[in-house]
Formats: sequence, structure tokens, C-alpha cells
Amino acid sequence: MAVLEQNPLLEGLELARTPEPCALVIFGASGDLTRRKLFPAIYSLAYRQLLPARFAVVGVARTEWSDDEFRDDMESAVREFARDEFRQDVWDTLAPGVRYVSTEFDSPEGADRLSACLTELDEERGTRGNRVYYLAVPPDVFRLLVRQIGEQRAAEGWTRLIVEKPFGYDLTTARELNQGLHGHFAEDEIFRIDHYLGKETVQNVLALRFANGIFEPIWNRQFIDHVQITVGESLGVERRAGFYEQAGAIRDIFQNHLLQLLAVTAMEPPIDFTAESVRNEKVKVLRAMHTPGPKHIVRGQYGRGFVDGEDVPAYRDEEGVAPDSMTETYVAAKLFLDNWRWADTPFYVRTGKRLPRRETTVAIQFQRAPHPPFAEIAGEGLRPNVLIVHIQPNEGVSLEIGAKVPGHGMQIRTVHMDFLYGGAFRTGLPEAYERLILDAMLGDATLFTRSDEIEEQWAIVDPIVAAWRRDRPVFPNYASGSWGPKEANDLLERDGRAWRTH
Amino acid sequence: MAATMGVERWEGTDVSVGEIERHLADLRSAVDEGGMIRTSVLTHLAWVPPEWEERALETLAGMAERHPSRTIVLVPQPDAGGNGIDATLWLNAFPLPDSGRRVCSEVIELRLRGSLCRSPASIAAPLLIADLPVFLRWRGQPPFGQQQFEELVDLVQRLIVDSTEWPRLPAPYAQLSAIFHRAAVSDIAWARTTRWRRQLASMWPEIAGVRKIRVTGTAAQAHLLAGWLRSRFEKPIGLEHEDSERLIGVELDGEAAPFPPGDPPQPSDVLSEELDRFGRDPVYEAAVGATV
Repeated sequence: MAVLEQNPLLEGLELARTPEPCALVIFGASGDLTRRKLFPAIYSLAYRQLLPARFAVVGVARTEWSDDEFRDDMESAVREFARDEFRQDVWDTLAPGVRYVSTEFDSPEGADRLSACLTELDEERGTRGNRVYYLAVPPDVFRLLVRQIGEQRAAEGWTRLIVEKPFGYDLTTARELNQGLHGHFAEDEIFRIDHYLGKETVQNVLALRFANGIFEPIWNRQFIDHVQITVGESLGVERRAGFYEQAGAIRDIFQNHLLQLLAVTAMEPPIDFTAESVRNEKVKVLRAMHTPGPKHIVRGQYGRGFVDGEDVPAYRDEEGVAPDSMTETYVAAKLFLDNWRWADTPFYVRTGKRLPRRETTVAIQFQRAPHPPFAEIAGEGLRPNVLIVHIQPNEGVSLEIGAKVPGHGMQIRTVHMDFLYGGAFRTGLPEAYERLILDAMLGDATLFTRSDEIEEQWAIVDPIVAAWRRDRPVFPNYASGSWGPKEANDLLERDGRAWRTH
Repeated sequence: MAATMGVERWEGTDVSVGEIERHLADLRSAVDEGGMIRTSVLTHLAWVPPEWEERALETLAGMAERHPSRTIVLVPQPDAGGNGIDATLWLNAFPLPDSGRRVCSEVIELRLRGSLCRSPASIAAPLLIADLPVFLRWRGQPPFGQQQFEELVDLVQRLIVDSTEWPRLPAPYAQLSAIFHRAAVSDIAWARTTRWRRQLASMWPEIAGVRKIRVTGTAAQAHLLAGWLRSRFEKPIGLEHEDSERLIGVELDGEAAPFPPGDPPQPSDVLSEELDRFGRDPVYEAAVGATV
């Protein structure tokens, strides 16, 4: 590195960050995630020449496939799901380094074959013993794999682990998983994925806050009335009932994505954009978080109803769901942060399935104008300013402001000032997984969750779930295609507020 | 991004600058059925003498909707009959994926007849979008020191040239150096050496001993590469140049450097990248300074 720094020719040459030669090993390669997200992301990275020239991918799963069958399947996945057009020359750079190992995850013989395959690739493709392991596997085989990988480290090169959610079931299991990982890997070798952090728009919350002088001075309890965070899905449980019955909305979305969104919205400015600085600030927010009690948490389960004009079944009638299931498909909560910036400012968060539409937003509602001189003649009453960050879809930011209606008198109406990503930057947003896989190969953990963050997240979830065990609500309590149970509306109405519904 | 674009067009002869804004507003209301967003990230000025017009429009079309902006194309026609401005206005609308809305951008092409060529800055200034950076693409070699050019330089934040288009290199580089403190300068010829500069940088530290290079490419690329190495290593380095339309070879003291990986970029891609840059480029400025 010292030699590179002295190289006067490098000055001003923006070297795209290219990772060192490495092999990416995907456990659970026959699953949906690999087909829909991982391989299309790898292809898009290759399309932009962001992968190292010496690179290989090894898929590992139970399905009995040959190298060629796996390659063909991945090719069709890329054709179907990649955001870039299929180009044979790009695929031809990837394909020769693609291998497949068919095995049970707990088979020592399979582990040996994988190990032999990787050694072969080191020689053939020059991957130098560097490995990124992507664990897209069920929790029960997780610990076993971690041990296996830890024990079979190559003599040279680095090893990194990308870990998919769910990361634990509660604080105790999360701690056990962390301990298991730390038995074989240092924290800077572990990359816990929360794909929300890979989204451009989530990173844009940081840009919005810390690259603009006008927002941060008013980004506090004095000027902000409250914050609403919505992660809404219009889909039902689909084919994930097996996992979802155990997890519910609180473990599927609330514990990770929602709390991460809240953390980036509320965190203090980090001193720089390095992994430790950013994550230190996020942990501080999570540590400061509390719920004012079980009454301020609402759970729900969808019943029958209409979404996009179609008659959809109740959760309990979905395939693989128990007919008396008490799993929640909706959670709303009022949260407080006990620090100087946010004391007494409520954060209302909600997530649910079968809501009217797919929408993830962070809405910052500012205080009302203290004394509008024209209150009487304002048509709809003066509304407070709201800054809305659209995470998806229609990625962008909009600000609701009051404007005078042209003509006589002083009618005020709320209008939107919009910044749409698609409008200003016409390049197409990269998929979250592209960014995250590349970052892991580069060893940059800024957009990944650290062990203490995970544990703080569970420390918030555990008491909520514990309180739920004591009562049995009447489920289902909201119709598919509605914005959730009535109790969720009451939660805000009690405070003289209301959920945004558009 | 494949997108169909809706186009509204207006044409007029002997127009005033005030009329242009009014007709643009008319075009906007003609296509606006709600959901039209006017987003701009910059004003893109282009000075395009008639002999460059075809190539310039091709490059602009290739950029399509990548930089939503107001583009003002100034075509000087000092010898055309009479004095006046003829204008063609286009309004392009690009659909936004997954939403009913469209983004519109504007192209204003002004043909400046006769005496109107003398002070183009006074024509362009009222048409700039407030508070956004202004980029000026000057086709051909700028008439350094002349009013039409000097005025425009003072109006813009960034000047984009392609010194490949200049005759009698490297002499004009000395004049270019003189404006570095007034506007940031991008040179497309320089951008087109990037792949090779990366390649040469990877040959450090052996390359530091080089005494003479031989470049097969355009004259601009040869001079800029030599200037770059001289300024980086702070020592004289000899240059031999063999003319070729594209940069296809660099020899260091008689030994050929390996060909860099990847494909050379398209003209629209190069310009598009230059429109994403805002600051001055000290490495380029030093290289230009060392060409002569």
C-alpha cells in the first residue's frame, strides 16, 4: 500500500473500487433469494466491471445439480430478474468461474468437496484463498456452517461472512449466534445484511440530513412535532408461511428494517462515514429508545378483503398457516428516544401486510406555524409542513408547503415540492444487493449491522413480545386492503394526531 | 434507458429573447396533462459553428434524458443574411418508470445571424436557469481573447472542450492555461486517455525512469499524455507522435505498454461524465501546462 500512495500517477485517477480477487460462496444457492436477487446483482456488478478480474462463484445447496445445470439456471435467472439487458460477453466473463456443490449442509464429505472446489478455483481463477461466504440458510444449520467455515479457512487470504436475516429469534438466541460467530471470526469479518441499508434512498436520508444546511438545525424536538415511519406491503404471506408463522411482522420487519430506518432518521451526525462512526451513532439511538408501555403497541392480523380490486383470503386461510394462528401481520408502535434531541417527540412506526399499497416512507411532521394571520380564511385549515422521504416506490423526497390559491382573498392550500430520483438522476438505481455484496468484498461494513446493534434491536423487541404472551386479541382485526386495525388509529388519535394515508 | 419521448416543437424567425421563454411556457402547458415534472440539474450551453452541428446534435441525442437540463445550442452564422435570431424550441418528455409522471427537458436552438454573433453571452444569460451550474461545450478551437468567447467563459462554471478538434497543437494549450482560474475546464481528449493513464499508473514504480514516449493516437492525446508524465514526474520527457484517429499504443523508451482492458467509451458517455464533474482538475491543468 505504501508504494501505491507514493505513485504520483494515481493522483486524480478515480479508481473505481475494485475488490481483491476472491470467490463468493453462496450457501442456499437453489433458493429464491439467489435467483431473484443475488445472481442478478452479481451480473449487474459484472456488467459495470466492478468485480475483480479474478473472481468465482460457488453455489452450495441440497438440490442435485451439475455445474452446467446451475449455470443454466442462473443464466435464466439473470435474464429474468437482472435490471440490465442480458449481454453474452458479460455473462461469458462470469460463467467459467461458476461452480456448484450439491450437498447436505451437515455433511463432512460435502464440506471436503467444497474445500477441494475452492482450492481448484484458487489455482484456475487466481482467487488467492480470499472467500466471501453468503449464508442464505435456515437458522438451524447456521451455527454448524459457521463452525465448518471457521475450521476450514484457507491458509492464505481473507475470509468474510455475509449473514442474512433472521439473525436470532430473541435477545438470547441473537447473543448465542454472535458468540458462535465470534468464536471463529472477528467482528470486522462478519457482515450482517439488512438490505434496507443498501437502498440508495435510505443512504439518501443521511445525505439529506448531513449534506444540507437547512434541515439539521430544525431536526429536533423543538421544530418537529412527530415522525411517522411506514413499511407497508400489499402482498400477503405468499410462500413464506413456514418462516412467517414463527416470526410475525415484528421479527420480519420491525426488529430490523423499521428500527434501522428509525436509527438513520434520528441518529446524531457521525464524524465521518466509516463503519465504526456510523454504527456507533446508530447504537446510541437504539439504546435511547423506549416504548411507553404495551398500550402503545398495536398488533393485527389481516382478514379477507380486496387488494388492487382482487378478492384476497384472510391470513388464517393462507397455505401453511394454522387456522387459529395468533401470528401478527401488522405492528404499530409509539416509540420515544430519551436524549436531548428527541425527548418527548413521538416516533410512530407501523408495518403490515395486505395494506392498500406497497409503500415505505419516513414522514417528518414539523410544528404548525405559531400564529398564522390568515387562519380564518384558510380553506382546509392550515396544515403543518411535512417532509416525506419516499424509500420505495417513487424514490425521492417531497416537502408539503402551504401556498396561496390564486385569486382574491387569502386561501391557503397544501402543495408538494417534489424531488424524484428518477427525475434528476436518469441512471437507474442500483439494487441494494449490488452495493452490499460489493461492499462486503471490499471489506467495508458501514452499511451492515454490528453485533451490538442487533442486540439492542432485540432488547427493544423482547419486552413487546413478552407482553403479547399474556393476552389473546381477536384476530383477524383488519381487512386486507385497509390501513390496519382500528386500534392503530386510536393510538394516534389519543395524541390528537393521525396516520398519513396517502 | 430506453424511453419513448414525446416531443413538442416550435420554430420562429427573428425572435426576441423574451419571446423564447413565452413560447417554452406555451409548449409546457400544451403537453402538461398533470404529472409533468420539470427537473433540471444544470444548464448546458453549446457553441456549435455550423460545420459541427450534425455531430453535436448526434451527441446530444445520445445523451437523451441522462441529465435533465435546459440545453441552449448557439449556432453562429455571421455570414447569413441580415441580423437576427432564429429559434427552434423542443420540449422532450421522458416517462418516469412506475409512475404516471413524466420528466421534461428543453432544448433551445438559436441561430445567430450577422451581428448577433458578437455578444452571445447577452443572449444566453437571460435564458439560464437560476442557481444551477452552467456548462459550456465549445466545439472546435475557441477564439481565445475574442469577445464572444471571453464573455461566455465568464458566464459559466465549467468549459468543456475537445482539444482533438484543435489544429496546430500544442500551441493553443498555452492560451487554455490562461483561463483555468476563471472556469473549470474539461477536455474530452483528456477523458479519452483515462484508460491508458490507469494502465500506465499500474506500471509504477518502473515507469518513473521513462525518458521518452511514443504515442499512437490523436495529437491531443499524445501531448496530454506526455504533459501528464512530465508534470507527475517533474522532469522532461521526450515525445514522438504517430497520428491515428484513436489512442491505440503507448511505447515507453521503445517498449510497448500493455493494452488497457475494456472498451473505449461512446462520445455521449464521455460528455455525460464530464457533466457530472464540478470542481477543477489540478492534474489536467498541470498536464496542459507541461505540454508546451
